[in-house]
This record gives sequence, structure tokens and C-alpha cells, in this order.
Amino acid sequence: MDMSELTQSSAPRRFIGGQLLGSSQLVLGVILAVLCMAISIAAPQFYSEANIIAILRQCALVLIVASGMTMLIITAEVDLSVGASLAFVGCIGMAVLNSTHSLTLGLLAALAFAGAVGLFNGLVVTRLKVNSLIATIGTMMMLQGGVYLFTREAVQNHHRLASFTVLGAGYLGAIPLPVVVAALIFALAAATLRFTTLGRYLYAVGANERAVRLSGVRSQRLKLFAFVVTGLCVGVAGMILSSLMNAGQPTAGRGFELTVIAAVILGGTSLLGGRGSLLGTLLGVLVLKVIDNGIIILGWNQDLQMVVPGIVIILATYLDIVRNRANVG
Amino acid sequence: MSVDFLHPGETVAVDKSVPALEMRGIGKRFPGVVALDNVDLTLEPGKIHALMGENGAGKSTLIKIMAGVYGKDAGTISLRGREADIKSPRDSLKEGIKVVFQEIALIAEFSVAENIFLEGYPTGKGGSIDWKKIRADAAALFKRIGFNVDPAARTGSLPVSQQQMVEIARALAHEARVVVMDEPTSSLTPNEVSLLFTVIRRLAALGIAVLYVSHKLDEVFEIADTVTVLRDGRHVSTRPIGQHTNDTLIQDMIGRRIENLFPRKRGAPGSKVALSVEGLSTAKKLKDVSFEAHAGEVLGFFGLMGAGRTELAKAIVGYDPITSGAISVDGCRLLPHETHTGVRLGIGLLTEDRKSEGLMGELPVYQNASLASLGAFARMGFVDKVSERKAVQDYVDRFRIRTPSLFQQVKNLSGGNQQKVLISRWLMRGLKVIVVDEPTRGIDVGAKSEIFALIDRLAGEGLAVVMMTSEMPELLGLADRIAVMCEGRLTAIMPRDEATQENILNAAIG
Repeated sequence: MDMSELTQSSAPRRFIGGQLLGSSQLVLGVILAVLCMAISIAAPQFYSEANIIAILRQCALVLIVASGMTMLIITAEVDLSVGASLAFVGCIGMAVLNSTHSLTLGLLAALAFAGAVGLFNGLVVTRLKVNSLIATIGTMMMLQGGVYLFTREAVQNHHRLASFTVLGAGYLGAIPLPVVVAALIFALAAATLRFTTLGRYLYAVGANERAVRLSGVRSQRLKLFAFVVTGLCVGVAGMILSSLMNAGQPTAGRGFELTVIAAVILGGTSLLGGRGSLLGTLLGVLVLKVIDNGIIILGWNQDLQMVVPGIVIILATYLDIVRNRANVG
Repeated sequence: MSVDFLHPGETVAVDKSVPALEMRGIGKRFPGVVALDNVDLTLEPGKIHALMGENGAGKSTLIKIMAGVYGKDAGTISLRGREADIKSPRDSLKEGIKVVFQEIALIAEFSVAENIFLEGYPTGKGGSIDWKKIRADAAALFKRIGFNVDPAARTGSLPVSQQQMVEIARALAHEARVVVMDEPTSSLTPNEVSLLFTVIRRLAALGIAVLYVSHKLDEVFEIADTVTVLRDGRHVSTRPIGQHTNDTLIQDMIGRRIENLFPRKRGAPGSKVALSVEGLSTAKKLKDVSFEAHAGEVLGFFGLMGAGRTELAKAIVGYDPITSGAISVDGCRLLPHETHTGVRLGIGLLTEDRKSEGLMGELPVYQNASLASLGAFARMGFVDKVSERKAVQDYVDRFRIRTPSLFQQVKNLSGGNQQKVLISRWLMRGLKVIVVDEPTRGIDVGAKSEIFALIDRLAGEGLAVVMMTSEMPELLGLADRIAVMCEGRLTAIMPRDEATQENILNAAIG
């Protein structure tokens, strides 16, 4: 009650939703700028065209999946099975390519499999009411084991399709194809969240699912949608990854889910749902990948690639809390 | 801790000439807000002093300063004539102040007796806790306040009313001289309220100064000796209750007069059946409920706690599952039994629990208002934000929703304005039947009359309004017909002019 006493009378000077997000992204933008400057002072080759392209290529896979994951986390759910699914998708896609020699069928198989994983997660969460953290850990374990039942070793490229290689290694002008795909998916997801009724309902479901249900909107379908979209994004990313590695690797994607979720959270999307944006996610992905890149070009111990992002996430989240507290007064 | 003073029949020696607590010139500011400005409050031993005011008046801040939750920026606090420096809840308790907050602060997993002696268990040989003594002492305390709670019961298993008694017993265990009750009746049944009042009077008889914080007029008239009213963080008046009438109290609280709390502008209800419910039962509560509501009518449902009003409200809009029965809106069956069917047919619920079922607190006002009608603002799936905001602005103007902008997070609005946003949500959608559950819960007196006027207007515009309420004045002031529930059954349904408090209450008891 006392909080309401406060906030009512101080309402005019409070931040509104959009600005709140904006300033959270501002913090991240500053972090990114500082990182870039610091790295480039120590290693001037940071700004070389080759390195920038390398960073963008590194970002592409994470950004593709993070686009779906942002939607999902905005609805207050999460999917931890994306890493395991990513590896499985690559193996299945490659196996289908080997037997059909058709890129279309290979892609469709990958999308169908990944979409089905998303649907399964969504049904377990919305129908069986299992908490998504637990449900998708379950799926993750099933997929991690399942991929070894499917193949004990990497599925090699026996089809030699040139179009498949282009998927990962090709360029559109000067830009790598995976980056173009990531940009398209990102733009589509961002426009959906920002401008469509669907996007608004996704935020609404995360902000208060019961209110959405009482308003006559089928909240479960919205969550199901977000799970499936996340799955489909994994399908796309999985195929690109197998093209880059020229094999379906059952061990690929370990820890990938953590990178994706870390980028989304770093970008200011609330795990509690109802709050977040894709622009933030983009910045989050960039920050993580610039750190990765910096560690490599500075010649630091590569194990720091896990350590430093861990520190950054805690710091950034803490800064966000401090900033929110300052706003509330 | 000594509990020697607890022997039955023993009277407490209290010097009645010295105030139990005296607050002078209390000031408290939060960044950007003056929460309290030069507020005085004097509590006499053995008297029940009511503290009234609307939300935001500063009641909570004042009692939190007393409880040591907040520090004060200005002023002095004296206890029994001696100035006290209260810096923490511990200090406050040591000075003999016990605040029983609305949200009770007991440890649910502990027994009643353990909770009472939480701050200092009586110990036996070798420092071990003397369980026998704890239980016996607790029982003695309950005897003292004239209300029995099993000291061995698990606290979390008790109803709120009994948890309050545990808190009061704790006050006695601490030899409190001042007991503050913060909105104690908000979740009690009428029976429990009268029991609580007996206990509060007993506290006063023991020489304890009681501060009774409430915004319910009838309660204050029943129990208080003196009333202090705060408004906007300032002291407005302190008078013996005998000098007040309903009107003067309301005027002090809101700073203006309300001519008529229930202005009726609508005409007589029509004869068209907008909602028909037949033989409705649910697994947990409702048993064979049948009724009809007409277009342009306010059908009021009354019942005591647990009568099944909220269950009925949620069942007829398709939110909660039903086991049997038929619901029709304008002749169309609500099938499948889901809210999206209900909303399509034109029935919606204005929930009693705004925070968890109505508002999207973090989201701006306009998104909250347009939630149910977003489809109407969509072009090929894209939201036409301009026409959406224009439509919301329209309602903000019409209903005089006080918000700095459409982009304000809705959690920052007052209860009354939040309620208006939620009513707008339904009106923007266009309904035939609106079910309103406790429409004025948590809403200030001043804003209440606006909500009543809105409900009157809804019925005037031809909606059937089904109103669930536990407030008798609201029921009698607004309803065209009155339905009464008891333990999940409908026990009576009568026209307003045949209804009296007596026959309503009789039907509510069953």
C-alpha cells in the first residue's frame, strides 16, 4: 500500500515503459562501445574488415535462435533444449541430405524436427502445466541422449551439394549469408513484436496471463506459438551450423542455450515476462561475441570465453537493478 | 521474558493522565513526494483511536514510522511522556508498540506458541527451550484476550482472523502499551469482525492504547472513541466520534462533499433476457444455480465469505470449468466453456483481484485498456496505434481517468483509476453482459461514487450488469434485483423494493 502511495503522487516523473527499455539498452550500448574501444586500443586489427565480418558471422547463429527466444521469454517461458536440439537438427538434416540429395527436403526435415521439438515443449508446458524450465531440461536430456541413439559419430557430408555449402560459407555481396539470414529473421521478429497484434499479445501474456485469458484471448496458443517459433529458429541455425562444419555433429551446441539465454537477458528482457525487446537482444549478442572475439585476438586464455561473459551478465543485471532502484527512488 | 502480569483478573496499573504515545510534527519525505507533513497524533491509554484517510493519505507511512520500518525526517515520538528514539522494528517493540499489519508477519510453519514467543523463548535447564512453559504461557495470553487459539496449531493452517489473535497475543507477550491494527477486517467475515471487536475492546480495557487504521466508516463508528483523519499527508481533524456523522467523516477524508453516493440516472430495466444461467454446478462450490439477468438491469449478488460469488462470476464467463448447467448470452450457448467464447458472445468479468487477474502492471495504460479489443484496431495483423490511442484517450477523458499520460505504467495509478481502465477495457470491446466482482474493493471513498456512477451508466446503456458484492450499502444502492447465495447455492432472489437488510442476511445464512 505504501508503494502505491508513493508512486501515485510521484507518477509524472516516473519512467514510462518505452523509456525504461531504452535506457536499459543505453547501458548496454555504452558497455559495447567501451569494449570495442578497449579491444581496438590493445589490438588495432579489431576494426579490420575481416575481423568485423568474423564477429558478425559469430553472432548470426546466436541471433537467429535468440530472436525466437526473446519472444518466448517475453511470454514468461524459456527453452533450455535449444542447444541439444541444434546438434540433433544438424545430424538429421545431414542424414536427409545424404539420402535425398535435395537441399529443400533437408531443410524441411530440419525445420520439421526442430519445430516439432518446440511444439512438444509447448504442449508439455501449456497442457501438462509443467514449468518450462523443468520441461525443457527434460527435453534437453532426451535430445542429448537421443542424438546418440540416432548416430554415434558425426554425420559426414556424402552428398556434396554446392548449395548446402553456400548456406554457411556463401556471401551476398560482402556479407556472409548466415548474417543475411539472421538479419531477416531478426527484422521479422522485431517487427512482429513491435507492430503486430500478435506481438502485443505476446507481451500481454507475459505481463499477466490470467488477464489475457479473461479478455478472451487464447493465452496457451500464444505460448505454443512462441515455443514453435523458437524451435523453427533452431532448425535454421542447425542447418547453417552443419553447413559450416560440413557435418552433423552430435556434440555441437553444448552450452549454446546458455549463450542464447544470456544474450536475451543481457538485452534487458525480463525472465518474469512482459518486458523486453529484440534490439536489446541484438546488443546482448554483440556484447557477448565482441568479448569472445577480443579474448581471441588479444591472445588470452580461451577458457576466459566462458568466464568473462559470466561476469558481464551478473554485472549488467546488477546495473539494471541499480538503475531501476534509482528510478523508483 | 516475563509473563507474570498475565494472571487472570489482574488489572494493569496504567497512568491514564499521560498519553501512551504522542507524535508531534511528524514529517516524512520520499524522493519527489512529501508523504507526511507536520502530523500530530496522541493515543490515550485505554482508548480506541481510529486513523482514517484515503489511499495515499499517509496512514501507512505513519504507522510504519511507529513500527520503526521507516525513519522519520522531522518531529518527535514520546511514549508515556518520555521521548523515544525508534530506529528499527526492534526499538519499536521494546518501547511497547506492536503493529499488526494487514499482511500478517507470522511464520506459517511454526506453531502458534512458537510465534508468540519468537523474540525470546522461555528457556529451561541448560538453555533448552521449555516447550511446556511456552504452550502454557500462550494459553494464558489467549485467556487474557478472551479468545482461544490452540497454541500447538500450525500457524499457517489458521484462518486470518485467528492469526490476528496470535499477533494480538504477541502484543501482550511483549507487554505492549500501544497496539496498532492496520485494516484488520479486510478479509474477515462479519462474525469474525464482531469477535475481533470484542478482543479490541478487551485490549482497551487492559489499559492499552489501540490505534485502529481503517477506511470503513461503519466500523469506525462502532468501535472508535476518537478519530483522526489524514489527507494528502496532512492532519485534517481529530475529534471524538460523537461529533462525526458519515458525511462529516467523508468530507474530512476527501476534502469535499459527496451529495449522493448512489446517483441513479438510468431508467427501468428492460425485459429482454441478456444472460440466462440454468442448473450451474462446479466441482468445488456451486450447486444448481439458475437465474436470468435482463438488459439494462443491475442484478446484485450478495453472500458471506465463501458463499460462492467469485466462483459464480468466474464460471459464468467461461474462466473456471463447470460440471453441469447451461449458460446463454442473448440466447447463444456458451460452448465451448472458454473465455474466448464468452467474450465473443459478449460476456466479460471485471475481476475482484485487479492485480493478479486484471492489470498488466508493467504495461502502459493504453495497452491495458485495449487488450480485449486489440483486434478492432488491427489492419492485416498490424496494430493501428493512432486509432488505438485515440480510442483509449476517449475513454480516459470520458471516465476522467487520472493518469499523467497513456504511456504511464498502469501499476502507478490509484485503485479507482485502475478500475476505470479495466472497465474501459470491456467497454471498448462492447459487451452485452458484464460481471463485476467486488467493484470497489481497495478503492477510495471518493472514487467509489464514480465507480457506482459508471455501473449505473453501463446498465443505462443497456448492458446487463451482474454485480457480486459483500457490501450491503452497495447492494441496496445499486441493484434492481438482489440474489443471495449461501454455500454455493442461490437461496433467494428478490426485487430491490422487497429487500431489507434482514431478509437478505437471513437468506445469506441459509
